[in-house]
Amino acid sequence: MIFFANLVSWWNALVHRTRVDNDIETELQFHIDAHTQRLIDLGVPPREAKRRSKIEFGRVDVQKEKYRSAIGLGPLHEIGGDVRYGLRSLYRNKAVSLVAVLSLALGIGATTAMFSLIYATLLHPFPYADADRIVNPAVIDEKHPQVPTWFALTPRQFESFRHARSIDTILGFNLAGLEATGSDLPENVSAAYVTSNASSFFGIPAMLGRGIQASDVPARSNPLNIVVLGYDFWKRKYPDDKSILGKTLQLNHEDYTIVGVMPQRFTFTQTVGGADVYIPWTPARFTHLFPWIKLKPGVSVTTADAEFQSYLVQFKKETPKHFPDSFHVNVQPILQPYVHNIGRTLTLLFASVVLLLIIGCANCSVLLLARGESRHHELAIRSAIGASRFRIVRQLLVESMALALSGACIGVIISYWLANLPLKLLPNDFPHEAVISINLPVLCFSVGLALLTGLLFGLAPALRLSRPDVSRFMQSGARSAGVNSSKGALNTLVAGQIALTLILLCTAGAAIAGFIKITRLQLGYDPHNVMAVGIPLKRDTKKNHPERAAYINQLRESVAAIPNVLDVAVALNSIPPNHPFSSTQVPFDVFGSQPEQEQQAGIFLVSPEYFATLKIPLLNGRLWDQTENQRGDFVAVINQTLAQRYWPKGDAVGHQLRATSLKDDGSPLAAASPQSGEWRQIIGVVADSRNDGLDHAPEPAIFVPYTTFMWDEIHLLIRTTSSPLASFHAVRVALQSVNPDQRAFNHADDLEETLQYQPLWSQQRLFSILFAFFACLALALSLVGLSSTVVFAVSRRMSELGIRMALGAQRWNIVWLVMRTTSITVLSGIAVGLLLNLALQRLLRHWTPASIQTPLILAGITLLLIASAVVACLPPLKRAANVDPAQTLRSG
Amino acid sequence: MDKQVELLQGTLEILILKAVSLGPLHGYGILLRIQQISGDRLQIPQGSFYIALYRIEHKGWLKGEWGESENNRRAKFYRLTPAGSRQLKAQTEKWSQMTGVVDGILSATPEKI
Repeated sequence: MIFFANLVSWWNALVHRTRVDNDIETELQFHIDAHTQRLIDLGVPPREAKRRSKIEFGRVDVQKEKYRSAIGLGPLHEIGGDVRYGLRSLYRNKAVSLVAVLSLALGIGATTAMFSLIYATLLHPFPYADADRIVNPAVIDEKHPQVPTWFALTPRQFESFRHARSIDTILGFNLAGLEATGSDLPENVSAAYVTSNASSFFGIPAMLGRGIQASDVPARSNPLNIVVLGYDFWKRKYPDDKSILGKTLQLNHEDYTIVGVMPQRFTFTQTVGGADVYIPWTPARFTHLFPWIKLKPGVSVTTADAEFQSYLVQFKKETPKHFPDSFHVNVQPILQPYVHNIGRTLTLLFASVVLLLIIGCANCSVLLLARGESRHHELAIRSAIGASRFRIVRQLLVESMALALSGACIGVIISYWLANLPLKLLPNDFPHEAVISINLPVLCFSVGLALLTGLLFGLAPALRLSRPDVSRFMQSGARSAGVNSSKGALNTLVAGQIALTLILLCTAGAAIAGFIKITRLQLGYDPHNVMAVGIPLKRDTKKNHPERAAYINQLRESVAAIPNVLDVAVALNSIPPNHPFSSTQVPFDVFGSQPEQEQQAGIFLVSPEYFATLKIPLLNGRLWDQTENQRGDFVAVINQTLAQRYWPKGDAVGHQLRATSLKDDGSPLAAASPQSGEWRQIIGVVADSRNDGLDHAPEPAIFVPYTTFMWDEIHLLIRTTSSPLASFHAVRVALQSVNPDQRAFNHADDLEETLQYQPLWSQQRLFSILFAFFACLALALSLVGLSSTVVFAVSRRMSELGIRMALGAQRWNIVWLVMRTTSITVLSGIAVGLLLNLALQRLLRHWTPASIQTPLILAGITLLLIASAVVACLPPLKRAANVDPAQTLRSG
Repeated sequence: MDKQVELLQGTLEILILKAVSLGPLHGYGILLRIQQISGDRLQIPQGSFYIALYRIEHKGWLKGEWGESENNRRAKFYRLTPAGSRQLKAQTEKWSQMTGVVDGILSATPEKI
C-alpha cells in the first residue's frame, strides 16, 4: 500500500514535474501570505510582516529541493542535472566529443559485431526447438578415426531404437536426387524423405500451408503424394508465388501436391547436404533411414554413447553392411562441427576487437584528460562553492557515460554491417541457419559494454580531476605555467595504444603475407576456365557394364562437341583440390614387397582426358587409351609422390600394385576385364597436384579408369575457351540430346572459384581482411590519440615556448623540445609492442598457422607506424614552430 | 507567554497526523493548529515542517486536494487516509507506551528500587 503510494508520488514528481513544481510554489506562497496576514492581524506593519514571514520561511527554491529529497528523488534530480550539464558541455566541445564518440563507436561496434556473430553462429544458430539437445548420431570407424560417419537403420531397427532411454524424440530421414520433370530441361531436385513426426521434431511452423504431419502416412491405405517445399527452392522455381499451395510438382514423372513452404531459416539438412523438397517417408519409398536424435533433457552425450553402443552392436548383427567392422558410437551436438571449424577463428577475432576497444577507450581517456586540464578552473570553482568530491566524480562519470552510450548507438549500427561480413567471406564454415540480427542479448551486450567502457575510460580522469587544488587554480587563472599533473598518465596511455596497434598491425601483416602465399601456391594443375558438372545417373539407365561405359562416354563426347569446349574428362571422385567422396586414403600393396606398415594412397577414378583437362603433365610411361578405358583394364597411373616413395630410382612403370577396395565385388557394373587379375600394371607417372586440400602436400595417388566402378553419380571436368559457367546451359542441352531425361545438378563449380571456398583460403582471406581492417582502425585511433596529446602539450606550453623564443631559441630547438617526450612515448610504445608481439608469436602461430611473420614484415610495419606518427604530429609541431613570442607573452 | 519547548525528534509526524485527524486543513492551518493546541509553547521550524508534511503525503498517510481557503485563495487541503488513521493509532500507542516507560524511569526514587 505504502509502496503504491510511493510510486504514485514518484510518478507525479518525475512526469508532471512542472505541475508539481507549480503546486509546491503555490502552496508555499499561500503559507507565506497567510503568515503575513496573521502577523498584520497581530499588529505588525505590513512591510515588516512580509519581511519577517519571508525570513522565517526561507527561499521557496530551497524548499523545492527539500521536497524532492523528502520523497527520495533527490539523487535522481541531481543526476538529471548532471546529464543536462554534461550534454551541454559535450556539445560545447564538439570536435573533442565527436572524436571520442567515434573512437568508442568503432570499438564498441566491432566488439558488438563479433559478439552478435558469436551469438548467432555459436550460441543460437539453429531455429529448431531444443536445438541444443539434437545430436548427430555419428559412429567412429576404428580404422579411420578422423572421420565420423553416419549409420542407416531399417524401419524395424528404427522402431526399436526409438525406445532407447536416452532418446526424447527421433527423426528418420533419407536423401535422394529426384528429377523435376515437365519443364524444358530436366532439373535435379534433392529430396529429403522425413518421418511424419518432422513438424513436431523441428518445432518450426511452415511459412505457407503446413508441414508434414502424421495423417500424411495413413496406417492402412497408400501414403498421400504430398510435398513441402524448401524456401530456396520455392524462391527459385516459383518466385514469391503465394498461391502455390494445392498445385502439382512432377517428380520422376509422378505428381505431388504442394501443401506447404518452409520458412527461410529452415534449411534441414544443410549439415549433411541441403534439401529442396520434403516428402513423407514410407518404407516403400526408401528402405532405410538415417536417424537424427533429440536427447532427453539432462542426458549427457557419454550416457547416450554407452546406451546406443549396445543397440548398434545388435543392429550390426542384423545389417552388417551398414556399420564399419569395428566402431564406437560418438554422438555429437549438431553445433560441434562448427565450433571445431570456426571457434578458434572467432576467438581470435574477438580478441582483436577487444584490443581495438581498449585502444578506443584509451583514446577517450586521453581526450578527457587533455580537456580536463582546461576544466581545472571550472572544477575548482565547483569545489570551492561546496561540491563534494563525490559529486564532481559523478558529474564527470555521467559525461563519460553519455559519450559511451552515444558511441554504443552508432556502434550497434556499424556492428550490423560488420557482423555480416564474415558470413559473406566464410559461407561454408558457419551454420546456414544462422542469422545475424540485432536482438535483445546483443543490445544488452552493447549497452553493458558501453557502461563498462564509460567507467573504464572515465574513472581515471574523473578521479584525477576531482581533486583540484583550489587555491592554485583560482589564483593562476585558466593558464598555468606549472607542471602538468596528467602528463605521465597521458604518455602511458598513448604508449599503450601504440603498442597494441603494433600488435594488430603485425598480425594483419602476417595474415596478409600468409594469404598471398596461399594464392601463389603451386597447385600442380590449372583450374583456369575449368568447371565441374555433377551428373546423376539412373541406376537402371544401362544395365550392364559395357553399355553403361559407352553411355558415359557418349555423354562426354556430346559435351566435347560444344564449340567453346576444349577438353572434357570424366571424374568420379575427384574435384581438385579435394576428392570429396572418399576423403580417406585406402590401403594398397605393391607386388613383390612386404612392407612392415600398411601403405596408403588415394584412389582416383578418372578418364584418360583428366590429365590434359587439368594440364597435369605425364612424367613417365603412358596414359591408358580409350579401348583400355572402355574395358576397364587393370592399369594404373600414379603420381610422383607415390612413385618416389616406392621407386626412388624412377623405375615405377612396369611394376604392379593392388588395392582391396578396387577388387571386383561381382556387381554387374564392376569391371570384368579379361586381364583383371587382382594386380594392376603401373603404366605411367604424372606430376603431383594438390589432392588433399590446400593445406596439405599432395597425397600419394593412384589413378585408374573410371570404368572400374561406375557409381550413380559422375562429374564432368570441362575446360572451355572463356568463362566456363557461361557454357553450363549448353552442357545441359548437350546431355539432354543424348537422353531426354538426363539431368545435371543445378549448380556447376568453377574450379578457380572452388579454390576460394577452401577452408584455408577463405579463412586466411577472412583473417587478412578483418585484421587489416581492425589494424587500420587501431592505427587511426592511436594517431588521433597521439596527435591530440601533442596538440594539448603545445597549447599548454605556448607561453613557455614564447619565452624561449624571445630568449633566442631556434625553431628546431622548439620543435625538438616538443618532440622529445612524444618520440620517447612512441618509441617505447613500439618497443613494448614488439616485445609483446614476440611473446604472442607462439600463440598466433598455433591459431593462424597459415600466417607468416618475417623480420622484414616487422621492420616494414614499424617504419609505417613511425612514419604515420610523424605525419600525425606535423600540424601541432608546425604550430609550435611558428609561435609568435610577442603574441603569446602579451596574452600571458 | 510560557517558555517555548523544542520539538523532540520524530514527533512532528505524529503531531501533523493528529492535527489533520481533527478535520481537513491546509499546510499553514496544520501548523497553526499544532501551535494553538500546544498553547503556543511548541516552536516548529517552518522549513522542516513542509519536509515532514511531504514525506507523510509521499507515504500515503495524507491526501492533499486543492480547494478554496477561508479568504478565497487556492490552497492545498490535507485529510487523513485510512492508512493514515491506522498509522496515527499505532504511533499514539507507541508514544504513550514510550512516555509511560520514560516517566516510570524518571520518577524512580532510591526507595522504589
